[in-house]
Amino acid sequence: MARVLYPALAVAVFLGVWEVLVRAYDVPLWLLPKPSDFLGRMMVDHALIAGQAWVTSQSIAFGFAIALVVAMPLALAIVSVGTFERGLYPVIVFLNIMPKTVIGPILIVWFGINQMVVVLIVFLMCFFPILVDSMAGFRATDPRLYYITRSMGANGWQAFRHVRLPAAMTYVFAGMKIGIVKAVEGVIIAEFIGSGAGLGFMILRASSFMDQTLMFSGLIATALVAMAFNAAMLASEHWLMPWARGRAAGH
Amino acid sequence: MIGNATQSGRDSGASILARGMTKVYGSGEGAHHALGPIDLDIKPGEFVSLIGPSGCGKSTTMLLVSGLEPVSAGSVEVDGRPLTAPITEVGIVFQDHLLLDFRTAMKNVMLQQEIRGLDKAEIQARADVLFRRLDLAGAEGRYPWQLSGGMRQRVSIARALVHDPSMLLMDEPFGALDAITRTQIRHDLEMLWLDTRKTVLFITHSIDEAVGLSDRVLVMSKSPGRIVEEIVIDLPRPRPAHLGEVPAFADYANRIYGIFEKLGVYKFR
Repeated sequence: MARVLYPALAVAVFLGVWEVLVRAYDVPLWLLPKPSDFLGRMMVDHALIAGQAWVTSQSIAFGFAIALVVAMPLALAIVSVGTFERGLYPVIVFLNIMPKTVIGPILIVWFGINQMVVVLIVFLMCFFPILVDSMAGFRATDPRLYYITRSMGANGWQAFRHVRLPAAMTYVFAGMKIGIVKAVEGVIIAEFIGSGAGLGFMILRASSFMDQTLMFSGLIATALVAMAFNAAMLASEHWLMPWARGRAAGH
Repeated sequence: MIGNATQSGRDSGASILARGMTKVYGSGEGAHHALGPIDLDIKPGEFVSLIGPSGCGKSTTMLLVSGLEPVSAGSVEVDGRPLTAPITEVGIVFQDHLLLDFRTAMKNVMLQQEIRGLDKAEIQARADVLFRRLDLAGAEGRYPWQLSGGMRQRVSIARALVHDPSMLLMDEPFGALDAITRTQIRHDLEMLWLDTRKTVLFITHSIDEAVGLSDRVLVMSKSPGRIVEEIVIDLPRPRPAHLGEVPAFADYANRIYGIFEKLGVYKFR
């Protein structure tokens, strides 16, 4: 209970002080809106904001899902096949070092201004952390464990399903947790530069109309979307990896 | 008791016969002659220890005898059959417990049943007996990180025995444990073995463990390992916690120390 109560109280106090100060010093709306302004705006324009938040969430979900589906098998291939390791990995390291948003303008030329560009940038943002950690995960199994599974008569698929894949999951999740943070970071920038919809687009439009209230509403909505994705990640980890529950606390 | 819990249980273990067994890793310039040639003649139900300095090929011997690595020269037969593939009538315990983090103690043991496709109720019953015998009651639902080092190693012994194999291969199984835990687990293993009489090949560099557990100790030289001496340990079982109280124990231990000094394993001045 206290875990929810104290942060909620802190936020309420923060917003309250903000409200009082802006009213006391009569700060104009175009400079800094009051919490009551943008929270009220979120109520009034909830259809618009929720609609844009939904578009943004879709972009995150698709980009992230594609990244996961590509990165995990690729990680396994790189770890298992020496040629991939030598040939592909340096290229991947290079692509990883390069700032991903640089590709935005190029993608716009290829695909035009649409959600595809956003999804692709989200994909690039979370692909690398998932790939790198999945590789570590697929390498994590002690090779002597395969002696034990072979002595059990396990075939390659059984050893993978019962040992290697679940052993890698702790690492994959670590990569996914970094990836989802990067995804919400990347999605807004991507929507600034290459999209006609989503919270990033909405905020940029509001900026050109000097609509500060809507910009702050967008900021809050973005934070809520980020929180929802992080919570979903933690919940799926808790559900899929019961063995890790309490481990950090226990050690 | 464990062995007789099922119809498939047999009273004696497998025999191991090796002739000129040799292992060379790699080829050409980088080749590493790891072992041999050595001969082994292990009778069904015998407890045999291989003792020798680090890197002498003890672990390699275990991998060759189980068919997990092919021999470079010579031959190995288990129960009279030449090895062509990894044998499955075997349980293996390494120095590290090598349990799966994501499975509870019991589920780690039951991996044997899942992969081998054995009858679940039957193996579960055997696992329950082993957990009692190995002092693991209450640990069934715990994950490896929630267990002490000694308990983890007990779980990995249960995993190696639950399918009632004819042969148990142990590669320095107590090497990572503290002295008190090691003495207790040595005794518990001896009691289990007395009931089941599986063939055990026990790899160690502890003279105490070798003499404390074995019917026969094979002393190996430095790399490439060869068997330089065979010592039959004729001591009553079960052997005591404090081996020093048995005068004959000191004689056996002295012989092994003597061999090590002669081989240059120890250089005391």
